[in-house]
Amino acid sequence: MIDLSVPQRQSPLAIVFLGLRILRSLGIAQIVIVVLFIMRAPFNGALSVLPFVIIVAFGGFSALAWWRYTFQVLDDELVVTKGIVRVVRLNVPIERIQSIAIEQQLLHRLTGLVKVAVDTAGSNEAEFSIDAVARPVAEELQRRAVTAVPTPVKIGSALPPPVLAEDRVVFTHDGRRLLAMALTTWPLTGLLVLGPLLAFGGDFFNRLPDVGLGDQPFRWWWVPVGIAGFIVFSIVLNIIRVFLQDWELSLRASATSLRRTSGLLSRTSTASSVDRIQMVTSAQNPLQRRAGLRGIELATVGQRNLSVDGCDDAQFTTVLTLAAVTPIEELLLDRRIHPAAVWLAVRNATVVCALLTGALFWLIGWWSPLALTPIPLVWATTRLHVANFRWGLGQQLASSSHVLSLRTEQAVLHKTNAVTVTQSIFERRRGLGRVQLMTASGAISIGMIPIEEAHAARDTILHAVEIDTRPWI
Amino acid sequence: MADLFSNEPIPTDQLPRLADDAFVPVDPRYLQVSLTGLALTATVVATGTVVLATQSEWSVLALLIGSAALLVLVLVAVMRVFEVRRLAYQLREHDLSLRSGVISHRVESLPFSRVQHVNIHRGPIERSLGLATLQVSTAGPDISIPGLARADAERIKLLVTERADAVVDDDPPAPSLPPPRPPTG
Repeated sequence: MIDLSVPQRQSPLAIVFLGLRILRSLGIAQIVIVVLFIMRAPFNGALSVLPFVIIVAFGGFSALAWWRYTFQVLDDELVVTKGIVRVVRLNVPIERIQSIAIEQQLLHRLTGLVKVAVDTAGSNEAEFSIDAVARPVAEELQRRAVTAVPTPVKIGSALPPPVLAEDRVVFTHDGRRLLAMALTTWPLTGLLVLGPLLAFGGDFFNRLPDVGLGDQPFRWWWVPVGIAGFIVFSIVLNIIRVFLQDWELSLRASATSLRRTSGLLSRTSTASSVDRIQMVTSAQNPLQRRAGLRGIELATVGQRNLSVDGCDDAQFTTVLTLAAVTPIEELLLDRRIHPAAVWLAVRNATVVCALLTGALFWLIGWWSPLALTPIPLVWATTRLHVANFRWGLGQQLASSSHVLSLRTEQAVLHKTNAVTVTQSIFERRRGLGRVQLMTASGAISIGMIPIEEAHAARDTILHAVEIDTRPWI
Repeated sequence: MADLFSNEPIPTDQLPRLADDAFVPVDPRYLQVSLTGLALTATVVATGTVVLATQSEWSVLALLIGSAALLVLVLVAVMRVFEVRRLAYQLREHDLSLRSGVISHRVESLPFSRVQHVNIHRGPIERSLGLATLQVSTAGPDISIPGLARADAERIKLLVTERADAVVDDDPPAPSLPPPRPPTG
């Protein structure tokens, strides 16, 4: 029997994991800078020991971190004490622990140790893992967490066998899906990968091989070839970005919570209890529509939102059901917005473009009327917007808009924190208005609808909130 | 979920309506509070303009900019007059609404059951006039009702907190903690 009430230390192997964790917390760009610095700086004489000093210091630091990291179970709380300079004491009430996962990575398998991932679904702060402990310790911890679920436990009777309180995997994106995701998102997002490289400034770009086109005369076909090359380059970068960020993207669900994990080099895990989900939005661009994929975002209170990209239609329905909202295709979205929206958008665009044309006339002369070209574009897109926009109000307020991308937004009425009805001068003259449902995280706004309809929607939402006794958070 | 409450569809015309004529306007003296800040700004701008116009060589430009700024301030003041006239609140059994806005009309409604905290703010000018601003916060948006008589603000604050508590009491009780276990090992 392992006594968890005395402070436990991890296995010394944890030094490696703690060291990696510290490295990760420094950031890739910083590490590359340090490595470059060490490689390029002229180390001679006494200075040549500097790299060794850094490595030894780092090892000592990791070992100290391991020594200071203890955990124990005291009075039904899991208490973790860690930190070298700043001591952090983390108290997690055991019955709040949603799941304790026991994992074994490659290094663990070689040494027979396990990693314990503690998920409290709610506060990100308290979601943590104990890197390397012996399996009996992990199982004892798991048993304590599982038996702490507020169910009558007969004192003195034989302890129940450990039941894994683990959440089930709803789906995991495989490599093909990730590739499809990367190819269907806006390619320029791939350029984000270059971000850390900018830290080196000119140094990095000076090292790129010189192609040597300097003295050749300009040829017109350089432009299209250059643009095509740039697009291919960003697509490749985007594939790299998606594989780094979303590797093995998986969604897990327990009875009360959802958890998303992904990442190749550093795994991120975001969890939220279902009650904390306030709003659900989805987006699908034309490319994604061809591939049958879409991105879903679950807005939650007080922490990072859960966003799951690259879901097919079945997964979309599953996620919505897990998030306790009705799948959008089962909702009755039969209301439209007033076509005056087109006139308003065109009028505003015309005013802005005309002013711009006037101002630009002093700069570029008769080319300035080119600034008027956005007007027909605005006209066409808002016409499309008005023609395709649908919204509905039942147990949920939901809207779907479709210009180029298809976007949906929905919120269950009892998540409402406030409702607002507004009327601009333009809307007032036409008897129109806007109703806005505000949740604790995000809002759904439906404008350009008859003011009586906006008032009725407001009354319906308030009534729904006030008669509903379900917890909303 | 279904056994907790029923949720039959209700025809919209049978829902309790937020009546437009039941709004209570805020104290008209709030206009003084609202205009004092503007008056201070206007004084500073006017002084600056006069000093620049008499002391520097850019007197014409200073006069032009200064008078334009003063004109804008006057327009804002006129807007404030209408704004304070439109500012009104309405308390119902389960929610609180605030009407505001001149150019763009706006009615915000906030159910008591979503209120996180309420506080009363009183600036120096409000104090001298016996007024108070009530700030009601939720986990999402907040609303603040200025220009309330101090006693009214206290009463509304009490009402809102009572109502918010009453709703909490209606909720199913939170799972109680498990009984303490005897020390093991």
